[in-house]
Amino acid sequence: MSGVLEYEGCNYLRQRLILSTLSGKSVRIKKIRHKDENPGLHEFEGNLLRLLDTITNGTKMTISVTGTTLFYQPGILHGGKFEHECNNDRSIGYYLEVLLCLAPFCKTSLKATLKGITTDQWDPSVDYYKDIALPLMRQYGVVGDLEIKVKKRGSAPGGGGEVLFQCPVIKKLRTAQITDLGKVKRIRGVAYTTKTSPQFANRLVTSARGVLNNFIPDIYIYTDVSKGPAKSPGFGICLHGETTTGKFLAAESCSVPRGDTDEEPSVPEDVAVNAANSLLEEIYKGGCVDSNSQYLSLLFMALGEQDVQKVMFGPLTSYSIQFLRHIKDFFQVVFKLESKLTDEDVLDDKLEYTRVLLTCVGFGFFNLNKATR
Amino acid sequence: MESVETTGKSHRIRHSGRKAEKKKLKNASEEASTKQRNPRAFAIQSTNKLNRSFRHAQDLKAKKHHIPVVNRATNEPPPVVVAIVGPPKVGKTTLMQCIIKNYTRQRLSNIQGPVTVVSGKKRRLTIIECNNDLTSMIDLAKVADLILLMIDASFGFEMETFEFLNICQVHGFPKVMGILTHLDNFKQAKAIKKAKKNLKHRFWTELYQGAKLFYLSGMVYGEYQKTEIRNLCRFISVMKFRPLIWRTTHPYILADRMEDITDPELLRTKPDCTRNISMYGFVRGTHLKPNTSVHIPGLGDCKLSDVSLITDPCPLPDRGDKKQRRSLNIQERLMYAPMSGVGGIVYDKDAVYIDVDGGPKNEPGEEENMPTTNPIMSSLAESSKTIDSKLAESGVTLFKGHQVLSTEDAEKFMQVDMPEEETVVIGGRKRRRAVFADEEGNESGSDDDDDDDDDDDDEEESDSGVEDESDVDDAEEVQDDSDTDFITDQPDEPLEPSASGLNWKINLRKKAELAFYERQNSSASLRRLVYGSIDPKSSPAETGSSDEEQQNDLAGGLFKISKQDQEREINHKQNARDCSRDQTAVRDWMKDHVTKASVMSRFVTGHWEEGEDAQALLDQDEELYGDFEDLETGEKGGVQEEEEIRVDNRKETKREREERLKIKRLERKRKLKEAFDRNYDVEKSSGKNSKEEVSLFDDVKRELEEQAKMNRDEFQDMDDEQRIQYEGYRPGLYVRLEIHDVPSTFVTRFNPNYPLISGGLLAVESNMGYLKTRIKRHRWYKRILKSRDPLIISIGWRRYQTLPMYFMEDHNMRQRMLKYTPEHMHCWAHFWGPITPQGTGFVGLQSIAGSTPDFRIAATGTILESDCSTQLVKKLKLVGYPYKIHKNTCYVKDMFNSALEVAKFEGAAIRTVSGIRGQVKKAVTGTNKEGNQGPAGAFRALFEDKVRSSDIIFCRTWYPVPIPKVEMTVDNLLLREKDSWCGMKTVGQLRFEKKLKPPVHEDSLYKPVERRPGHHFRGLVVPASLQKELPFSSKPKMQRKKKESKKDKLMKTAVVREPKDRQVAALMNAIHTIHRDRRLRTIEEKKKKVAEHHKKMRKLEVQEKFRHKEAKKKIYKALSKGDKKSKNKS
Repeated sequence: MSGVLEYEGCNYLRQRLILSTLSGKSVRIKKIRHKDENPGLHEFEGNLLRLLDTITNGTKMTISVTGTTLFYQPGILHGGKFEHECNNDRSIGYYLEVLLCLAPFCKTSLKATLKGITTDQWDPSVDYYKDIALPLMRQYGVVGDLEIKVKKRGSAPGGGGEVLFQCPVIKKLRTAQITDLGKVKRIRGVAYTTKTSPQFANRLVTSARGVLNNFIPDIYIYTDVSKGPAKSPGFGICLHGETTTGKFLAAESCSVPRGDTDEEPSVPEDVAVNAANSLLEEIYKGGCVDSNSQYLSLLFMALGEQDVQKVMFGPLTSYSIQFLRHIKDFFQVVFKLESKLTDEDVLDDKLEYTRVLLTCVGFGFFNLNKATR
Repeated sequence: MESVETTGKSHRIRHSGRKAEKKKLKNASEEASTKQRNPRAFAIQSTNKLNRSFRHAQDLKAKKHHIPVVNRATNEPPPVVVAIVGPPKVGKTTLMQCIIKNYTRQRLSNIQGPVTVVSGKKRRLTIIECNNDLTSMIDLAKVADLILLMIDASFGFEMETFEFLNICQVHGFPKVMGILTHLDNFKQAKAIKKAKKNLKHRFWTELYQGAKLFYLSGMVYGEYQKTEIRNLCRFISVMKFRPLIWRTTHPYILADRMEDITDPELLRTKPDCTRNISMYGFVRGTHLKPNTSVHIPGLGDCKLSDVSLITDPCPLPDRGDKKQRRSLNIQERLMYAPMSGVGGIVYDKDAVYIDVDGGPKNEPGEEENMPTTNPIMSSLAESSKTIDSKLAESGVTLFKGHQVLSTEDAEKFMQVDMPEEETVVIGGRKRRRAVFADEEGNESGSDDDDDDDDDDDDEEESDSGVEDESDVDDAEEVQDDSDTDFITDQPDEPLEPSASGLNWKINLRKKAELAFYERQNSSASLRRLVYGSIDPKSSPAETGSSDEEQQNDLAGGLFKISKQDQEREINHKQNARDCSRDQTAVRDWMKDHVTKASVMSRFVTGHWEEGEDAQALLDQDEELYGDFEDLETGEKGGVQEEEEIRVDNRKETKREREERLKIKRLERKRKLKEAFDRNYDVEKSSGKNSKEEVSLFDDVKRELEEQAKMNRDEFQDMDDEQRIQYEGYRPGLYVRLEIHDVPSTFVTRFNPNYPLISGGLLAVESNMGYLKTRIKRHRWYKRILKSRDPLIISIGWRRYQTLPMYFMEDHNMRQRMLKYTPEHMHCWAHFWGPITPQGTGFVGLQSIAGSTPDFRIAATGTILESDCSTQLVKKLKLVGYPYKIHKNTCYVKDMFNSALEVAKFEGAAIRTVSGIRGQVKKAVTGTNKEGNQGPAGAFRALFEDKVRSSDIIFCRTWYPVPIPKVEMTVDNLLLREKDSWCGMKTVGQLRFEKKLKPPVHEDSLYKPVERRPGHHFRGLVVPASLQKELPFSSKPKMQRKKKESKKDKLMKTAVVREPKDRQVAALMNAIHTIHRDRRLRTIEEKKKKVAEHHKKMRKLEVQEKFRHKEAKKKIYKALSKGDKKSKNKS
């Protein structure tokens, strides 16, 4: 009925599918890697489509013979309890991101068990979503049995991890004004290893504390040394800071997967210091929402009630810029963007960030899938 | 006597002194309340009673609460829609004329469509009359804020009134005010009183107790009485409205003008072509977003191809005027009714039309192929632009299908830069420097001092400066866009192993990052970075891909830049790795102190700002409540001293100091007031004066109020153009909607008396799905409804015909189909239709064509759920017969047709009629031991007990019932007779029309049950040993046998008679027979006699009657003759 939106290229596929499913508008994506040596949709994208198929009812997907064109006509979000084997090209975070956006708007509450890689270098890890995305969702009114549980850890390339994601169903989102960052009052985190010496976790913790103790004494980093047979060795650390106003900022870092010949194998100390420095960088940017979950905040704002909503971000990431454009396409919601310069001194290396205040009037979305009695 | 009157001093009451105090004391006890005077009477007598009364009070309090909602009303709300509804000949048009006359002092004789009037300083009304068509009633119930329901008191209520009330109820119930007319038809005052009372009470039961009912007592010169109308109008203008859910979530427009904007040439050549139309009206409900789809009831779903803002044709009085009076003056009493030809000036998107005749427009039939206004006149009337500006705007295309060249472009082409002269005197010699236009910017910058004098010039220049900047930015944009994703692109490329190679790459990355963040520095560039140049007209999907193309088109498409490189880059960007992780470069924060310090302030351990620092806050508090006096020590608060010290230090002038102190005082006062407000308001809002009663309700309410304030203030200062981009068209704006490809009959058969509504749809609402609803047949509807019979459903904005399937939910949530709706109960229904939010009410009708005396609303209900599939089932019993029984195992035939079918049912539960449960085990295939093969579809089954060969075995299954995917929009606006829409007919209706009888299936008829003979079951024998152990109640009782009758005894003993006895018996038998026969005969004869007698009597009666009549005749004749005679005599 409503016109089909057309896009080109496989980048931002998830954004398009998420928004298409929520808005009910069909989407046609053309020229997917059409000049690539390996053209068309890849295995992990097919896996994502299969995941969408399990949580929806009545979705129609048509992929051309070459795989370079995808037509997606969304059905109704159903949710429910299921298990999904994620592809090992991408980590669970890649799939979890889609579920986080869609789960609150399902017919029945979602309880998904995802299997695959829990952490890799490209996507935010499962711990990141647990620490950052869930509190953010709670602020927008997704409250109840909201949980991410890491049952098993699995590193790239072997995988073998298992994550339970549970999300309640809501009728409407809450209007939230997230403009006050406050001050970082504590830092928490988790250091994990799979199929390596358990000492690695301690080494990670020690080095991360070495950096962060200069700023704040309230630090506690949990160690999670996975027992039982894991498929590949790996380790990493995910740190997050909580502010006085209840906002969360996070950063993470993990080891180079085994078998990656391009890069040197990582050392726990380097990984931990890198994570600590990224956390400081994130804190320095000064956004009230972590830069990796800007899109989530944008989505919930755009879908919120028809009220003025505000959020303060650090610099916009390219992913969220594209998300803003997509939101305009699918929901006709345009954000007012105001840049707010930070008062802090400009550093010598000129990498200065501007904070961005985003204001929008929500679309007034409500969950049409939920059943009433 | 008058002189006696004393004019002495009046008595003065003492206000002070002993006497006064005494009196005060005395009076105090009298003035005190009873509670104070007699506290014992009000002491707690019983805790239970107190408990109960407290609970009751709390219940009452909680009952008053409504769920608070954010007030989203705009500063200038759209006109209130007042619909005048009632059966024909009740006085609707007269009332409308009277109301309009009351507000505008004008008389409208020929009203068509809605009329908008200014009713007060802050309110406008759109008044519309509802004709007696069910579709109009439905549509107006969806948009009207206030309904004036007219009732003919001399006739009483009519079906239409009740139908309309039911429609209203389902669609959210707008405010309803009843009006009784034709009261002058009563002759007696008592009859009026009685009628009023009866009607009022009936009206109250329909609406609510105490619903407002107006009486219009009579007509004066064809109009209602002035005072009564004025009272009514006063009621209308102070009425408050509750927000209705559907309307606060959907934008809508009640069009007060519709124009056909199809190309006239196309119209001439192809009169039947699909038309483009424009509709005009105020946005209502919520913000209308461009590019949304709308539903026009009576037409169908359309996509808005254009929305544009138009000057308000009927604005509220200007609020800038300070000395505003309470009433409106005659210039402010505006009226706008373009469909009835009132309103004078009509604004369009790009033109202003002046109605020259001032009279009503052409007849609707005539205006089919004519443009609505004289184009010459309108072009003359267009005064907003001069010819020069028009010329500047006009463009030329050099080649067909290419970009339009504007004059500016043309000038750019023509530009042969002509240097301007500037004389400079250097060293006594005049030199003429050639100054090119390009350098002008620098030039103006250099001699700033000169420009400062001329304010106007300055402004202009600054404006142009802004434009220039934006142009430059636009040009940069191509680069911007390609750069945007540079950072994410990076990780995709394999990093080179050599360290030297890495080095330049890091630099590159840093540079890109720098550029990326720099672009976010200013708000304007940020917006451009994200959205490009926001152009509301461009369609959404295009913006992404066509930006570059537009940029590359130079000079009207004459030349193009080769795009290969760019294309590759775009391709690379488009197909990059989809990753949400931000890959910013990380610096070493421990490197030096400066870096470390910069982030330190973000921690609680770091530096706090003035407003947040604990110490500073403490100081502030001290300032606020600073001037306390410590009573014990006698010291005064320290602020004053501090201040003095500061003053000494600075040595200010007196004036300065005073000013400073004044500001400080004011600030303190403000803060104190704020603190007071905070405490006091909270108490006030909770109703009681204790702090504990601040409830969640109050908190939520305050929060929502804050939100409402933010909503109002956020975009207040922006101009409309920009505001619309962020908010959409807010309610209260007058807009023009353009809709393309509308069937031509819509325009040619347009009737302004039918409301034209364009209701906005939310994103998902134009998708189709199965709707699960709760439905109830209306108790006044005469028939029950049948599954799969067409039903016209009015829901949301839509009216459509669909085929509902009714069902009931079992306890295990199984949805069992029903053939008919239950008579007095709710049931559920599934039907195919556009997805609609849960909780939306709907009305079901079987037909809307013509009029029947019966009640037409068939059913009402609400939406529960929408889905893409359903689980509707009906029961199907598979029956089989045992053909071989071994103990508990049994072979069953005739249930299935093949082994494959059996395989599908393996493990299914089966049951015999006698209640023995079992399970399907396996199909019988091949030959068994005895060498015989079972019939096809036979299977082995296992039961919990031995099955009799006479048992019937059945398997209960649930068969999914498909729901027909039929949905037909009621497009009655396309018809000439708008009330004659007739979609699909019910089967019953068709049979009635074709005089067919329903087909009879032989199988469905009830026949006498035929049991297979030869089966009788032995009685239950309980063994003696078991009987002994059974409790008495379960023991078989020793019943006494029934007393035997004589006959039984006779039957038992065979009697062989003696020959004599035999003769006697034979004789007796013969006598009995004769006796019986005689008796029967006498009875017969008696009957005959009686019949004859009756016959005779009837005859006699007739004769008697006749005689009587004749006699009467004679008497009357004589009488009348006598009368005449006597009359003649007199």
